[in-house]
Amino acid sequence: MSTATARPRVNLPRLTLVQRIGLLLGSIAFLVPLLVEIPGLEPAGRRMLAIFLLAILFWVSEAIPLYATAVLVILLQVLMLSDQALIGVAGTLPPAASYFAALANPVIILFLGGFLIADGAHKFGLDRSLAAVMLRPFAGNARLSLLGLMMITALLSMFVSNTATTATMFAVVIPILAALPQGRARTGVALAIPVAANVGGIGTPVGSPPNAIALGALEAAGQGISFIGWMLLAVPLMVVVLLFAWWFLTRRFIAADTPLALELSADFDRSPAAVIFYVIAATTVLLWLTEPFHGIASSTVGFLPVVALLATQVMGADDIKRLQWPVLWLVAGGIALGAGIGASGLDVWLIGLVAWEALPLTLLLLLLVGVSVGLSTVISHSAAANLLVPLTLSLAIGLPIDPTAVGVMVALACALGMALPISTPPNAIAYATGEVPTSEMILSGIAIGGFGALLLALVMPSVWNALGLL
Amino acid sequence: MKLALLILEDERPVREALRRDLAAFARHVRIEEAEDVPTALEVIEEIDAAGDRLALVMADHRLPGTSGVDFLIGLAADDRAFATRKVLVTGQADQDDTIRAINEAGLDRYVAKPWQADALRDLVREQLTEFVLAAGVDPLPHLAVLDAERALSIVRERGDL
Repeated sequence: MSTATARPRVNLPRLTLVQRIGLLLGSIAFLVPLLVEIPGLEPAGRRMLAIFLLAILFWVSEAIPLYATAVLVILLQVLMLSDQALIGVAGTLPPAASYFAALANPVIILFLGGFLIADGAHKFGLDRSLAAVMLRPFAGNARLSLLGLMMITALLSMFVSNTATTATMFAVVIPILAALPQGRARTGVALAIPVAANVGGIGTPVGSPPNAIALGALEAAGQGISFIGWMLLAVPLMVVVLLFAWWFLTRRFIAADTPLALELSADFDRSPAAVIFYVIAATTVLLWLTEPFHGIASSTVGFLPVVALLATQVMGADDIKRLQWPVLWLVAGGIALGAGIGASGLDVWLIGLVAWEALPLTLLLLLLVGVSVGLSTVISHSAAANLLVPLTLSLAIGLPIDPTAVGVMVALACALGMALPISTPPNAIAYATGEVPTSEMILSGIAIGGFGALLLALVMPSVWNALGLL
Repeated sequence: MKLALLILEDERPVREALRRDLAAFARHVRIEEAEDVPTALEVIEEIDAAGDRLALVMADHRLPGTSGVDFLIGLAADDRAFATRKVLVTGQADQDDTIRAINEAGLDRYVAKPWQADALRDLVREQLTEFVLAAGVDPLPHLAVLDAERALSIVRERGDL
């Protein structure tokens, strides 16, 4: 070409009013604990409180991107609460490296493996082909087809991010949607996918970031859970909520005689690279499920596909670059935040704030789950978990309930906030198709999320106890 | 932010025919018309000032003053038109003009008059999708006018933030 070519321009986004307020309040909230004497809180605890308040306001208002707040949290902890602190405090502070190490936390390594397997599944078309094969038994009846669609979406979402699952399933379903008569049936199908993806995400530790955040915090507290251990805690809830969602959505949107043809063709890639991928992915999942027999930690197993896929060159440098680094940084920020709250003594001070033990346990759990669902409805699930997991784990110390139950409960509750298009990326995708009015999303989100929340707070602790899982 | 489509065409009936055939896009896309190159440049300035993105230009070649091909060549170096898709809609461009449009303006598609309405709509959808993919624009607000499967392929890489 003989002429100059146009360059991309980086346009800085204009801040919304909420973002401006968040920026201002976050900065003020950051300064207050540093300037004002707080009874019962040591200097290190005050510094941590400052960072925590800033994190709350920045993550809630999205004044800066979520992952930017995460890296800011790590930097502030290094500058204020580590051996490299600009101004030292009495007592020993953790080394700066321990904060940076959050990005190499075993949970992040576990996710790295999960991400590579998920990306590979898409690269070789495995996600679509599996969906096609698994939909076959449900063909013929509209309501049953929807059940099949939701189960497959949930199953994929257990191993693939909720967002990617929704994108894949909509790519499959949009032609089918177009064949349906305009109106309620379309809304039902378009709602079923994000609901199933959100709910399915709770099924395994790699299903969605809140699980990783809870797992990381529990491991730091010496309460680690195995991959299969997590599944035993979460899958019963996942299945019951899915069935309820299916019942709710079909009764509301899908007439029994709706013509719904969900027949897709499976096209399995049989190239040598694809076959190697299938073997590595299957081995990894098998090892995850059998941890009690071999004792290899799930994070170590998660690193296996990373090594094997790169060594066999089934995946390469480009695939590493495409990994969802913003998500990994966000989780790392949450892990660093949790570590700082524990190390600075802020947790002890927080417990002392309210006489939680005076409240009946059931009410407390309802409150816990309610706040988690509410917050994750209006902000990112991962950011909500980043804030709530360390907070509630500190509180759990004084309660007559296993801290593991509390950590898992918050993570699961953070998956149930799905009443608005902004609640989760899957909801945003469903809304963008134009088939889902906001009012219907709110209604089904409240019904399904509310049902799940009640089940989680009132029934699951007894189920977990009865099954001897805690 | 809206995606904008610019029709550069001096004959009013042809502009109207294009607009009519693309009416399905009008709800989601800012469709602008210009009858000559100076007007087109003004429109591009307006689109840019409003914070919208020029996604697609459908230009005729034979125009009073500057030709459509020369306009497209100028556009290739214009930062306001980064990743903008360029389509020549004409019955009268000779071989030399067409060669210049492809080699110097990076022409994306050539539509011969008279066009088929269905094929034109498919082409516009395809080109808007190409723009969104190349420009790194969030496809979700524009999903209705895009090839959903390809547009969702970018969304899937975002992860659960």
